[in-house]
Formats: sequence, structure tokens, C-alpha cells
Amino acid sequence: MSFLELSGLSKRYGPLTVVNNVSLSVERGHVVCLLGPSGCGKTTTLRMIAGFADPNDGEIRVDGKVISAPSGSLPPERRNMSMIFQSYALWPHMTVRENVAYGLQLRKLDKRKIQELVDNILATAKLSNLAERYPGELSGGQQQRVSLARALVVEPNILLLDEPLSNLDSNLREEMRFEIRRLHDQYRYTTIYVTHDQAEAMTTADVVVIMNGGSVEQVGSPEDIYERPISEFVARFMGGSNILRGRALDHRTVDCGGVKLVCANEAPQKDDQVAVSIRQHTITIATQRPEEPTNWAEGVVVRNVYLGANRDYVIELASGERIRVVTSTSSPVENGRTVWCHLPPEHCRILTS
Amino acid sequence: MMSTRAGLSVPAIKVSVDWSKPLFAALAALLVALVLLPLSWLIFYAITDDTAKLTLSNFAGLVSDPTLRRPFVIAIGMSLGVGALSCLFATPLAWLVSRTDMPGRSIIRAFVTASFVTPPFLGAIAWEILAAPNSGVLNAIYRWMFDLDPYEHLFDIYTIEGLVFAISCYTFPYVFTLVSNALDRVPSDLEEASAIQGAPLFTTLRRITIPLVMPALLAGTLVAILQALTMFGSPAILALPAGFHVITTKIWSLFQYPAKPHLAAAISVPLLMFAVLLIWTQKKILGRRGYTTLGAKSGAPRLIALGRWTWLAWGFAGALLLLTVILPYLALIETALTRTVGQRLTFDSFTLHHFHFVFFEFSATSLAMRNTFLLGVMTATLGTAIALVTAYIASRNVVKGGWILGYLATVPIAIPGIVLGVGLFLAYSNSFVPLYGTLWILLIAFLTIEMPAAYQQFSSAFKSVHVELEEASRILGATRMTALRTITAPILRSNAVATWCFIFIGTIRELSAMILLTTADTKLVSVIIYDLNESGDLGAISVLGLMLLIVSFAIITVANRLPVFGGAKLISLRG
Ligand SMILES: Nc1ncnc2c1ncn2[C@@H]1O[C@H](COP(=O)(O)OP(=O)(O)OP(=O)(O)O)[C@@H](O)[C@H]1O
Ligand SMILES: [Mg+2]
Repeated sequence: MSFLELSGLSKRYGPLTVVNNVSLSVERGHVVCLLGPSGCGKTTTLRMIAGFADPNDGEIRVDGKVISAPSGSLPPERRNMSMIFQSYALWPHMTVRENVAYGLQLRKLDKRKIQELVDNILATAKLSNLAERYPGELSGGQQQRVSLARALVVEPNILLLDEPLSNLDSNLREEMRFEIRRLHDQYRYTTIYVTHDQAEAMTTADVVVIMNGGSVEQVGSPEDIYERPISEFVARFMGGSNILRGRALDHRTVDCGGVKLVCANEAPQKDDQVAVSIRQHTITIATQRPEEPTNWAEGVVVRNVYLGANRDYVIELASGERIRVVTSTSSPVENGRTVWCHLPPEHCRILTS
Repeated sequence: MMSTRAGLSVPAIKVSVDWSKPLFAALAALLVALVLLPLSWLIFYAITDDTAKLTLSNFAGLVSDPTLRRPFVIAIGMSLGVGALSCLFATPLAWLVSRTDMPGRSIIRAFVTASFVTPPFLGAIAWEILAAPNSGVLNAIYRWMFDLDPYEHLFDIYTIEGLVFAISCYTFPYVFTLVSNALDRVPSDLEEASAIQGAPLFTTLRRITIPLVMPALLAGTLVAILQALTMFGSPAILALPAGFHVITTKIWSLFQYPAKPHLAAAISVPLLMFAVLLIWTQKKILGRRGYTTLGAKSGAPRLIALGRWTWLAWGFAGALLLLTVILPYLALIETALTRTVGQRLTFDSFTLHHFHFVFFEFSATSLAMRNTFLLGVMTATLGTAIALVTAYIASRNVVKGGWILGYLATVPIAIPGIVLGVGLFLAYSNSFVPLYGTLWILLIAFLTIEMPAAYQQFSSAFKSVHVELEEASRILGATRMTALRTITAPILRSNAVATWCFIFIGTIRELSAMILLTTADTKLVSVIIYDLNESGDLGAISVLGLMLLIVSFAIITVANRLPVFGGAKLISLRG
């Protein structure tokens, strides 16, 4: 039994189903990222876990005990969770210290203990010298750290983060990403992290959950999701892949506009219309016709851009489809040349659509 | 729940009982009682006779009896007159203040606020002192200047024209506020575009500016009409001596011996319907899209240089302020400090007799002041708290149908004071709930009257407080009530103080509803002023009136220093 379990969770607003039959198991101490495009129901799922919204179907269990169900839910204040909001939600009328101490005061700890715990967390979050400031007097990154400190100081059973970095500039975002992971490794709270930035998900998560239109598309490690997408949506959402459409010749071979591709996984059925994804950087280019045509595609270079670390080609295949290939910068191929692209079988993945 | 917290230094949260649900239920019951109880009794009385049998004869009387029909005609005519005159006063003044470089614009705004704060019944009494046909100060000056006989007079305030004028002096600020706010928001590029094409100033005004502020002008005029229609004090002071009734005074007279409560209830119904209609129309006008898109501000409006017209502008503004504020205030001050009305204030005639009388001799005043102060503080405190929680429930959708509470809280805005007075009298003077004659019935009346403005204050304030601020405290272990107390209320504290101040001011100047509800033991300062007017004791009135004004201005000054104060919020003060 996992620590946190969502089973068959659905949420409807009027006729609109915004979360649809979501099931998920989270191990104690793991960081799980909910990743998906805007409006796919990430915040709604998080708010159900927090107890701000009741599900219409399904239930949420912690340690085997039901905390949310359509028939009634534990209110948020009884869940021993912490949440970091997209807006940070720092209380403008309290200093940094008062903001952080708030949760401890509600737990009726004595003053000395509160002081000690607050000092500790402020030091960890590098906020000690800002303790007496008001939130309005802090930069975005500092506010972010206050909101982290405020959430962590109560030692929650589960930590919920809703796009905590989306208001920061890209440098700060990168820094805070590792900061969050560092704090997590120090305290090991079970964490649900919502984002629509895949790089953020990759660097922070143990498990990534891809959501689309209210449903879960794929659950897996960052590597799983990146290397082995199971659906066209996931492959497109993660980016960096070419997607070719074709017909399954047998369980492992797909005919994509005349190019025969042997793939790493199995197609559901012979003669099915399927899509195949292949990452841009796994493709290699040859200027000579290969001996064995399987997994080789002939095409013409229509664009090539030097990117410093590597070279980015756009190649038009005989079928008229264009693919992108990222290779090393050695031995450039000029525009207009006919080339053969090798799509290695171990990197071709058949997708469900 | 989760007990496995081994190795952690912070204990799991133990949450105390969440009182929010029972509290919300109680609040809902209270609002329903406040609003629906008096209205139900009013309707019940209107459609029954003395033996509690259903009848429509009360309404038939309204049509057939000319002594009941005439007050309606007069009141409507008077209100339309007030609407027109308020427009005439306010629109040019608002334009001068918002759109021209006339010097002293902030002084003018301050004077308009003064007129806003002046209770209309006090203004009416001041105009009695100034323009009564015989004793009026202005008439005396007129006779002295032209050496005329004692019965000649220039002005007679005891006429329908006099009444319209005396009311308009204190209703024009409603139009002024709305129009000048709208003018402030007219994008100046629209005007400039017209000017660049060679249109002279007056063409631009007529073709561009006036159409853009028309909704605000109409809405303001409707408020002025509503105020006039539902006002009791000024007509009672000026129309009764002139020998005619308006609806409000007629309702009041039906409670004089022998009381006819059924007829009074019946006559209240059309007045209530007029009020609802006016409010509804006003909401519709202000809610129109064309008006709200005006809200998008584009640059500071360009001020028009008046040049040699400055003198004319000041002549108009000065005359207006003289008539509405300066002369009445001077009249009150002089009357308070001299022994007889109309006596010039000199070193010889100076006397503190009236102050001595009011504060030490006249036993009723100290009681009335205590009652007024007590009720003001209680209404302001309770009203602020109730409005805060109601706005919280309504805007945060705490319980299903929470918005209904917000709706209930705004209903009283359409109940004229005197109608509420009738309803409360009928609801609480029977043997089920014998509150008549106690301060409780007055507290209920005040709370009902002040609820809409207070609620609207908080309801717009809540829109500016992000829900996540409250949620952040709840997820850390705070119940709804704790979050409201420790997070939301402190964040809204300046709104709360402002609301408190305005409820307090509204309470001490209220007369229309109170006139039917006070008894000898529960007199209020406003009612005492009205009583003293009947006995002709203008000196004492002036003392009490000035005191009311000083307290109001002191509180406004305090509230003005708060960051969230806005002139529009005064709109719902009543006379
Ligand atoms: N209270 C509500 N009433 C009606 N619809 C809602 C409500 N809350 C959310 N929705 C809808 O539910 C859908 C999912 O919303 P949600 O906030 O969960 O998306 P999200 O994945 O967090 O998106 P984003 O990345 O933009 O934050 C959206 O289409 C939204 O319009
Ligand atoms: Mg979201």
C-alpha cells in the first residue's frame, strides 16, 4: 500500500469534467510531478488533495485512511499538509518571521520552541537577515523561499507545490529548482509538485505524471517519460521528437510512407494506423546509400543551422514529411544534398493515439 | 489522522471545533429576520383590516380618498423637481472641478463633502432660519435694505418651491460624485480627437463629453429623486407648516392618534415599489457595458483653461456653496450663539444660553445623546462584523447558496426609511416580540438600514484579497474562523475602520425610520431636533445640530486618512 493514493478521482464543474478518473500511488518520501498543458486539471487535482475541493467521484487515501470522498472530506486544516501557492500567498500584514511562525502557533508550541524552529528553517532557507521584513519588501526569489520555509517548518506529512517557480525569471528558476530538491533531500517530505515546465519536472521529480484534458496519460520516471513515451500526446508534449505516421506491417514493423521501421516496442495490431516517435538526437545522417534499407529514410536537406554544441537539420523525406535531426557539428552536409537518415530500431517507439 | 510522525519535532495539528457552519446558519437566520420580518408584517397589515380579515379596501382608499392621493402627486412632483435642480447644481460644478483649471477645486470638493454630511433635516431647519417669510434672516435683510413693511418678504421657504430647493441643497452631492467620477474617467483622447478636428469647446462638450457621462448623470439624478421621495425630515419641517403632505409625512400622520396602521401599511407599499423601481433602473443604467468600458483609464484628462471665464466659474461655484453650505452653517452658528432667532451676533448679543440649556437644563438631551452614542457604537461594531462575515460567505462561496446572503444584505437599500419604520413597528410592537419602546428595535432598524452600504464595502474589498491568502492559513491548520480572524480581517482592517466610521455617521443622522420607533425613553438626537422644531426652539436645535456636524466631520477626517477611503462610498448615507 502506498502512502498517498488517488483512486478514480473525478471533478466536474457543471457539465465540464476537469479531472477525469485519475488514479495514482505515491510512495512515502517521493517527489511526484504533475505535468501537463494549461487547463489540464493539475491545480484542481492538487486542490482536491489539499481538501479545498471535494471530488465528485473516487477517493483520496493517506496511509490507508480515506480523507476525500464525494460523501465528505476532511477539511484542509486537519490534513497535516503544507502547500505552496502559485501566488506565494504570503500574508502582507505579517513579517517574514511571523509568516513562518504562524503554523507553529496554531500547533500551540511554546514560544521558545517556536523561536528555535523558526530560526533553524530561516537559516536553512538563507533568510535569517530578512526575518523582520514584510513580504512587500522582498524580491520574488526571497518571497518564494519564505513560502517554502513557511510550508516546511510545520513538518508536514505531505507537501504540495503549485507551479512555485512560474513567477521567477529563468536564472532564479534554475537555482530554486535545485534548492527545492536540496530541501527535499534534507527533509524527505512526500511531495506533489505541479508544473507545466518539463525541465522543472525532470530535475525535481522521482515520478512524473503527464496529464491531458483531465486524465492521466502516462506515469513513470523522468527517463521513462522522456525516452519511452507511450502516446503521441506525451511525445509531442515532451518535445525533441519526430513523429511519423504509418501502418503496422506486423507487431514490430511499421511502414511510414515507404520507409520500413523496425521498432523497440509492439504495435497493438497488424494493419493498424499508428504513429512512431524518434528523438531528434538519436538519428544519424549518411551521405551514402545504405545496403539494408530497413530503418533508413532517404531525404533532402532543406535547412541546416549551426547551434554551437551541435547542428540542427531539417530533412524533407520522399513522402514530403519533414523531420528534424540534431547531430554533432563535425562533417556538415550542405542544403540540397540527398542524405540517408538512420532511425535506430531501439529508439523507434510505436505510440498509441 | 496520521499518527506516524516518529522523528519529527512538530506535533500533528489538533484542530479545535470549526464554528463556521453554526455561525453561518445563525447569520442567515438573522438577515432573513432583519429583512423579511418587517416586510411580511407590512404586507400582512396592508391586506387585512382590524379584524385580520383579508381586504383590498386599504388600497381602494388610496385611489378614492383625495387626502391620500394628493400626497403621492405632490411627492412625485417634488422629487422630480429635486432631481432636476440637483442636476442643475451638480453637473456644471462637477465639470468645473474635474475638467477645468479653475483654482480652488479641492476647496470646492471639501464643501461638497460638507453638504453631503449635513443631515437634510438640519439643512431644512437652517433654511427656516434664513428664509421663513417673517422671521427669516434673508427677508429681514431685504426689508432693511429697501425699507419695507414688516410683512413684505422676498423668500418663503414654506412652499413647494422652497421645499424642493432646501432638499436639493443636500441631494446634489449624489449627482456630483457620480458625474465627477465619470468625467475623471472620460478618456481625454476622445475629446482631443474632436478638438483637433476644429470643433469648438461647446461642440466637444455637447457631442462627446456629455453623452459619455450621461449614464452617471441619470443614475445620480435617480438617487437624488429616490432620496427626496423617501425623505421624512425636510418635508415634515417645511411642508407641514405650509399645509400640505408628501407620502412620508402622510404615513407618519397615520400613526398619530387615532392610529390607522392598516392604511399606513397600504400607503407604504406603493412607496416601496417606487423605490425598488428607481434602484433597479439606476442599477441597469450603471451596469450598461458602455459605461463600464469607460472605466479603462487612458491618461490623465486634459484640463481646459478657463482664462477670463474663471470669474464666472467662481461666481457660480461660490453662489452654490454659499447657498448650500455657508449660509446655512452661519445661520446655525449665529442662532446657537444669540438669544433670539435673527439677532445679529455681536459682543453684546453673544450668549452661551442655548449651550447651557441643551447640556444642563433640558433633561431629554443627555438621554438622547447617550442613546445616540450607544446605538451608534453598537450598530457600527455589530454592523461591521456582520457585513464582514456576510461578505466573506457570499464572495468565498463558503456554503452552497452563500450568495443569497449577500443578496439579502443589499435588499434594504430599496426600503425607504419610513417604510422600514412602519414594518418594524408592526413587527415588534405586538405581544409576540414586544420590542417597541426599547433600544433593541432601534438597533434592529439601524442595522437593517446600514447593512447594504457596509456589505458592499466589504464585498468589493474581498475581491482584492486573493483567496490563496486564506487557503494558505487553512492548510497550515487554521479553521475558517481562525483564518478570517487572523488573516482576512487584519488585511481588511482599514476597510473595516472606514466602514465603522460611515455606519456611525449614518446612524447619528438617521431620522426617517426613527421617527416612528422612538418613545420618550428612547429618544435620539435627530428625533429631539425634530421635536424641538415643533416647539420652535431653534437655538437649542442649532447647538445640537452643530454638535452632530462636528462629530461627523471629526470622524470623516479620521476615515479620510485611511488609505482606502473613496468618496463614492458615501452614496448610501441616508437623510
Ligand atoms: N471553480 C471552477 N469553476 C469552473 N471551472 C473551473 C473551476 N476551476 C477550474 N475550472 C476549470 O477547470 C479546468 C482545469 O483547471 P486547473 O486550474 O486545474 O488547470 P491547470 O492544469 O492548473 O492549468 P494551469 O497550468 O493554467 O494552472 C480549466 O478549464 C478551468 O477553467
Ligand atoms: Mg494551475
